[in-house]
Formats: sequence, C-alpha cells, structure tokens
Amino acid sequence: MENTSTLERTLRLIALTLVVVFFMFPIFWIFLMSFQTNETILAIPPSIVFTPTLSNYAALITGKLTTAAGSLDIAFMRNLGNSIFLSVTSVALALVLGVPAAYAFARHKFKGSEDIAFTLLSFRFAPPLLVLLPLTQYFQWLGLSDTYFGLIWVYQLICLPLILWIVRGYFEDISADVEYAYRIAGHTWFATFRKIALPLAGPGIAAAGLLAFIFAWNNFVFALVLASADKQPVTVGALAFVTSSGIQYGQIASAIVLSVAPTLALALYAQRYLVEGLSLGAVKG
Amino acid sequence: MTTLQLKNITKRYKTNTVLDGLSLDVADGETLVLFGPSGAGKTVLLRLVAGVIDPDEGQILIGGEDVADIDAEHRGIGMAFQNFALFPHMSAFDNIASPLTATRSTKDAIAAGVQKVAKLLKIDHVLTHHPKALSNGQKQRTALARALVGSPPLLLLDDPLRNVDAKLRFEMRLELPRLLATQGATVVYVTQDYKEAMALGDRIAVMSQGRIRQIGTPADIYNTPADIEIARLFGDPTINLLDVTPRGGADGVYVELSNVKVSLPGMPASVVGQICVLGLRPESITFTEAGAAGAIPVTVEAETPLNEKTVTLVLTVRNREILVSRPAGTPGPTSGPAHIAVNGKAAFLFDKASGALIRSTATSLSHNGEAA
Amino acid sequence: MSETALLIKGVDKFYGPIDHGVHAVKSLNMDIRKGEIIALLGSSGCGKTSTLRMIAGFEPVSRGTISLKGREVQTFAPVKRNVAMAFEGYSLYPPLTVRENIAFALKASKLSQSVVDQKVSDIAKLLEIEDIMGRYPSSISGGQQQRASLGRALIRDADLHLLDEPMGQLEPQLRAVLRGRIKHFIKERGLTAILVTHDQTEANALADRIAVMEGGVLQQFDTPQMIKERPANLFTGTFVGEPPMNVFSAGVSGADDTVSFGLNEGVKLDYKASDFSQAVRAELMKRSKVVIGIRPYAVRRGEGGVGARVAVNQWLGDQTHIATDFAGGTMVLVEHDRTNLAIGENVAIRLDPSSLHVFDGDSGKAISHGQELA
Repeated sequence: MENTSTLERTLRLIALTLVVVFFMFPIFWIFLMSFQTNETILAIPPSIVFTPTLSNYAALITGKLTTAAGSLDIAFMRNLGNSIFLSVTSVALALVLGVPAAYAFARHKFKGSEDIAFTLLSFRFAPPLLVLLPLTQYFQWLGLSDTYFGLIWVYQLICLPLILWIVRGYFEDISADVEYAYRIAGHTWFATFRKIALPLAGPGIAAAGLLAFIFAWNNFVFALVLASADKQPVTVGALAFVTSSGIQYGQIASAIVLSVAPTLALALYAQRYLVEGLSLGAVKG
Repeated sequence: MTTLQLKNITKRYKTNTVLDGLSLDVADGETLVLFGPSGAGKTVLLRLVAGVIDPDEGQILIGGEDVADIDAEHRGIGMAFQNFALFPHMSAFDNIASPLTATRSTKDAIAAGVQKVAKLLKIDHVLTHHPKALSNGQKQRTALARALVGSPPLLLLDDPLRNVDAKLRFEMRLELPRLLATQGATVVYVTQDYKEAMALGDRIAVMSQGRIRQIGTPADIYNTPADIEIARLFGDPTINLLDVTPRGGADGVYVELSNVKVSLPGMPASVVGQICVLGLRPESITFTEAGAAGAIPVTVEAETPLNEKTVTLVLTVRNREILVSRPAGTPGPTSGPAHIAVNGKAAFLFDKASGALIRSTATSLSHNGEAA
Repeated sequence: MSETALLIKGVDKFYGPIDHGVHAVKSLNMDIRKGEIIALLGSSGCGKTSTLRMIAGFEPVSRGTISLKGREVQTFAPVKRNVAMAFEGYSLYPPLTVRENIAFALKASKLSQSVVDQKVSDIAKLLEIEDIMGRYPSSISGGQQQRASLGRALIRDADLHLLDEPMGQLEPQLRAVLRGRIKHFIKERGLTAILVTHDQTEANALADRIAVMEGGVLQQFDTPQMIKERPANLFTGTFVGEPPMNVFSAGVSGADDTVSFGLNEGVKLDYKASDFSQAVRAELMKRSKVVIGIRPYAVRRGEGGVGARVAVNQWLGDQTHIATDFAGGTMVLVEHDRTNLAIGENVAIRLDPSSLHVFDGDSGKAISHGQELA
C-alpha cells in the first residue's frame, strides 16, 4: 500500500483535475466571453485568442447599450442593486424570524409543533407557478404588487422554510444538558439562547443563511411577475439583453460575471467561517 | 446546606411513566445516592429537582420551600452531568465561572472563586484551554468545578464518573468525599456502579422503573437487600442464587446442597417446605478439605482473578454453578474436584414467587463493628 | 511445551510510508502456544488494535512476519487464515436472527444440520441467549448483541480466536459467571484465543499471559501473577492492578547495615540492609532518585509503621478501601474486612520490604521487587 502511494496520488490528482475542469469550464468560458464583442463570440471556430474589450462592462455600468439597431437604455446596475437589497433584506428577515422559531421547534415539543413545521416546509413543495396567479391577485388587492415590501414578503416563502429546517437540525444537535447546565448556573432561558445555543449553532445558521441568500438571489419567477422594471433583480433584468436586433452575448456574459461575483465572494468568505466553526465545533463534544 | 423533599412525584412522557409517585427525603448535609439500572428514572429525577423539566404531579421542596414556581436559574443548585455538558465555545475558566457571572459578581471575585475551586480540583494549569483541548479527566474535573464554584447548598451529581477510565474513576472515588466535605452541601449522587454507591452514599436509594425499591445505608442494603433483584445489583461477583426448599429439624432450619446439610441459624420455621431461593455471596463460601464438616463436593470449572480477589466458578454434582471468591494470594484449587463450605450464617433466603427477602442472617457477618 | 500457534516476528506497523508514517506497532515479537489465552492490554492508541487487525489480515504488515501453525500468513487474505473473530462493534448481520447469525459461522464447515443445531444450542446456553435466539440484532440490547457476537466467534473451530473487547458491554451481574464459563469453554476445547482489551480486570480474569502495550511497544509479556508481582516498569506496575499501585518518588541513602528511602514531607522509610540483596543495594546506591511502589493490598497497618492520616474509608461489601494522607500524597490500603477507622484518625502503616517495588526515577525501569533484582 505504501509503495503505491505515489501512483495513487497522481491518479487522484488527475481525477480531481478532470472534475474541476468539467465544472469550472463553463464559468471560465463565460468569464472570457465577457471580454469579447458579439462578433468574436459568434465566430466559428471559437478562439481563446482575442483582443479583450471592456465595452460590455462599460455598457452595463453606464447603462447605455449600443447595438447595430441603435442605442438602448438598460438598468443593469439598478437591477444589481435590487438583487442585493432584496436578497440581503429577505435573508435578514428570515433569520430574525426563522432562528428563534427553529429554536422553539427544536427545544419545545408543543402541541402541533410538528404540523406547523411541516406546513412551513410544504411551501417549498408547490411549484411557484402554482401559487403565482392567486398571489398576484391578492397582491393587487393588498396594494403590495410592485413594492419591495411585497417582494421581500414573497421571498420569505423561499428563505424561511430553508432556514427553519436547517437551523432546527443544528439546535437539536446541541446536547440539552449543555443548555441545562447554563440555566442551572443561574442564567435565564434567553441568556442561554444567546450565549449557548446561538454560538453553537453559528455554523449552521451561517450555512442556512448562505443557502437562503443564493436561492433568493437566483429567484426569477416571483420577481418577473410581481415587480416592474425598476424593482427587478438581475435575473429578470438580464432579459433586456435579448433585444430586437439579436442577443447580446457579451453583455449577458459580463452581467453574469457581475451577478455571480457577490454570491461567490460570500460563499468563499462563509466557507472559511464554516470550516472554522465546525472544527471548533464538537457541539456534542 | 439544605434539605430536599420529593412528594409523590410522577412524570410521564406520552404513555411512558418515568417516575411513578416517587417520594424521597434528603436530610441536611447528607449524601444520598440514587442507584439503579439505566432507564430507572434517575436522571429525570435530577432534572426535575434542577427545574429544567416539570413534574406532572407531586411537589418538590428545597429547604422546605415548594419550588414549583421557581425557575431553574433561581434554585441555586450546582449540577454535574454524565457527559460533562461543558460549553465547547468557552475556555475552562469561563465554563467554571458561569455560575458566578450570573450573579454579577466583580471580575476579581469571579477570578478568585474560579482559581480557588480549580486549585482544589488540580486544574488551575489548564484554565485557558477550551474543552476540546482537555483530557477526559480534566473535562470531568472542570464539570465538577463548575458545579462547586458557587458553593450551592444543594449539589446534583449525575453519574459524573461514568465517562472516565477505571483508574480516574477510582481516584475520584477517593477524592470526592474529601471534596464534598469541604463544601458541606446536601448531595444527590446518581450512579450505576454499586461500588461508587456504597463508597459515597450516606444512604442509597435503589431505583427501578420509576420507583424507589429500597432506601438505607450501604450496610442495610448489602446485608438485608429487600429482594433478589437488589441483592443481584450489589456485589461483584454477583450473589449466587440456588432454588431450595428448606427443611426443619430439631436443630433448626436447614437446606440441602448436594445432599449436604447447610443449617440456616435464626431462620423462621415457617419457611420449611416453602419454595425459596438461597442467596450466597461468593465471599461467604470457602474451599475446604474433603472430610471437613459440611464439605460439599464440586468441580472447579475456571479460576478468574478479579482485582484483589480470586473468583472461582465451580459446578455442583447437580451441575449448578457457584461462584466462590477469596482474597488474592490465599491458596485454593485451580481445577478438578474440590470441596466448598457454605457459611449458613451469611446466607439469604428469598421467596421464590415474589423474590422478596424472607430473612437475612448476614448482619451477623464478621464485619468488625457492624454486627447487628 | 506445546506447539506454537501464532508467531509474530519483528512486526512493524506504519500508517503512511514505511519509516516515515505513524509508527503504530514497533518491532513486535510474540510467541503464542496452542491452547493459550492471551490478552493484549493497553489504553487506546497503544497499538493493540493494529496488532489484532494485522493478525486477522485486515491491515497489511509493514515489516516482519506473522505465522499461524508454522505457516507465514502475513500476505494472506483474512478468509485464508482460519481465524475466528468477535468484533468490538459486534458486526452482527442485521437481516439474520441471532440463531442464524451464530449458525452462519458454521456454513463453511459442511457439518450436518443436527450437529450444527446441537452446537448452536450449547453455545446459546453457555451465553444465556436461549430466549433471544429468534430475535433480530436491532431488537436486543447491547449486552445481548455482544453475547451473540461472542457466540458466533466461539462456535467456530478455528486455529485462532480473536476477541476484540469481548465483554465490555456485558451486564455486570452476568460478567463473573460468563468469564468463568468462557474460560472453561476455551480451555476444555484447547482453543487458542487472543483478547484485546483496555480493561486490565478482564485481562487478569481470563488470560494465561498478558501482553501489556504502550506507545506501540510491548512493555511486558507474562502471566498475570508475574506482572502483578514483578512489573517490568512503572507503566506496567501502575496500569495493571485495581486499585492501582501506590507510587512515591524517593531519594535513596544507606549505611553499612541500613537502606533508607526519603519521601516528601520528611517521611523516611528505614530498612535493614539484609532486607535487600547485595546486588539490589548496589543498584540503589548508584541512584539518587527512585520511585517506590507498593500494591494497596500489601500495605499493612500496625506497630512500627510510619504515621499516616485516614482521609477516606470506603466499605464495598467484601472489601474496604482506605485512603490515607501519606508523605504529601495518598497511600491506599485494601483490607478484606470492614474496618472501623474514623476520618482523620492516625494510623501506622507498614511497607514490608518483601512487597516493595523500586523503579528507576528517570527511565521507570524496575530495579527490584522485594529482596531481589528485577
């Protein structure tokens, strides 16, 4: 076994490289595309050698898109801002509501607690299109249509169940004795929640928050139907690049790069935090 | 110091009755051991007293005061847990200090309090470590220190030595009484180890299935166990149990083992003819010469040394197994045929049907000073 | 001397590259005779489990040879070694009943059904699992699973039986009698068994010889009696025996006709020179620091002893454990009768030279046991 370890390591390296290339290549290609004009992108055969241009990024940032058919106003930066605002606010709200709820579900088996928890999860079962029509009706009656508030509310359908169920699991993993010990030491239940349960479930809460953020960021349907142009996130905003004079691949690519960047940065940051949290962990230790 | 009284405590989880109308009095400054197999309800009982769960019925009085409306954080109890229950994200210092920070003591007072108890438990050199960096023994000492640091009048210790190795457990068994003496607290101590129970308890409450089966001093329980089950729980090796039907003669009650008469002095004549179980502690049986009075022929099956004892498994002519125990280093047969003698004075007689103790003569066993 | 059942010669185990990885077992040599019960004893990480796994064939040998009945087997697959094993985690087959699990071990033996049935019912009786033979592993307690797993290993007619922590989960009330029965069963059939355990009580109860391991090194391989009376070093001395050996570091001094050990707090133990052989005295005088050890049951109370103060007196039914404050430490005594000693009472304790173990202060190696050199 020991003498094969070099060979084994080499094989493992090759396998890993293949997997990485397979998954990373599309992202890499999009990244390249974002620095090309539509002409070079559509050239056959495609080439990695090209003169990079920042015109796509410039168009996105200035909001002026010049095509063969003329110039067009696009609100990409506003869309990006909307995405950030909607996702951050939704996740924050979902955490504020969901984490205490998860704690309650984990620690107190009250009558019907399982039913309520399941009902909340079931919101994730229904395809969004199913609820969309009645939802649109209600929102118009309530005057929530085309408001940030309304969108954030709807986004709770995505974020809240996710956070509730993931965080609940983490709370359940904390030995009840650890919390009892803190109570018996003379601290209130709220202090116990703050000083013991929250820090110990921290990695789980971070993971749930991150997932919820990604789901919220990637949402398309709710925003498409319930929001008008000035409140749309990037997922919907990218539609603007499908113009009457053709599809603007270069701008789409740079839009993707810009819109992926925040989630990617967040994921990388949170990953470090998660690993730290988990290795400090031994929640059951 | 304080007193603890439990009155008719019942606790159910769904249809499962964990504690069944249990009553218990713990005196001021007493160490009471709750002893019993897992699932007997010992831990639930401690949690009820601590106030982290509530009883379905019954009353808990601490220092004579009903604590039904007092939350866990205001009961002023110290508790150590079987799994230590240390806060993994806090240093040993912060773990131990947690009962002091709750009372808003000054920083200096907290540091002094932690230092004092840490020194007592010999962990003052690891106070900055997080639980992950502590050895099992240090974790266990940290958990004890946390329970003791606030000098609580009532201490609940839930099998604190369960998760440490045999050596540490022995060490702590000798150290705990000294430690508890410095505290002067009233202690409820839970364990599944009968040696711990006998070594640490002023009194032992034997629990099973949510009830207290017997309560008394270690000597009471060892010498007059209320029934067969309790007799089996105390003693290593386990007590020998043989089905017998006592007979009566001019010289009192006797039983026959392999056609050899073993007289049971002091046993009431009413047991004659009744189907009984004879209980013989392994240390009350000795090897003897073939011709000696009351010598019972046996075959030695195996010799298995047990710490400072030598335990021998022998087979009677009727293939009944008997364990014989003697101090290590004393002579005895290791194989083949041999003879044993039974000390009838140290025998127990239980009713076969109910398992209840009919009579024990064991109080007159040769324990210096403990003769009844 | 009967034939060799298992021969381990110069065995090393590295996890990772040889000579660079974790050195789990260090040049191990053992010669186990047919019909012996051997205990591999040590705390976790001492190398005992690695050794067991190499013998069974679950782990490749980094260096050295393992021979079963004179045949080198270190390159053989486990199934080719004719070794029976009881696993620490039981490893019962979940879809089979307890009876099927045990009988499964005889599948390959081509015995007639009636012989199999007889063997299974014998082993069930031995292990007191007759009433759970029809049950599935998931529906029985840990102790019962352990007994079933033991039964599956013991029923086989193998050249070697490996038992990994075989009795740790057994109900305490059954332990003493099962130890006796299993020992008798193994001896009666002339089986060769190796049990791996961290519990020195188990090792002492069952084994003919105990191999004490620590840090991948075999510390001592001898009978329980010899390990108790002549521990090779401080580690073995304190690891084997419950309650553990009392140990105190001491300075040595001596005149023509005396040998004295100076302990902490000015406690001095004086012995006649004739209490130790000439060779022991010579070894002692070479050193300034030693560790003296005495087993708790060998400590006596009585006249002419050294003063100590009773700290704890615990009666356990058939033994009394007394801890005394002595020379800045704790001296533990075991007595077999109940002792009326009040806490705080002063007692005189005697450490007979014949029960005294002396170890080197630095290396921990035994210098003397009683009068003689180690």
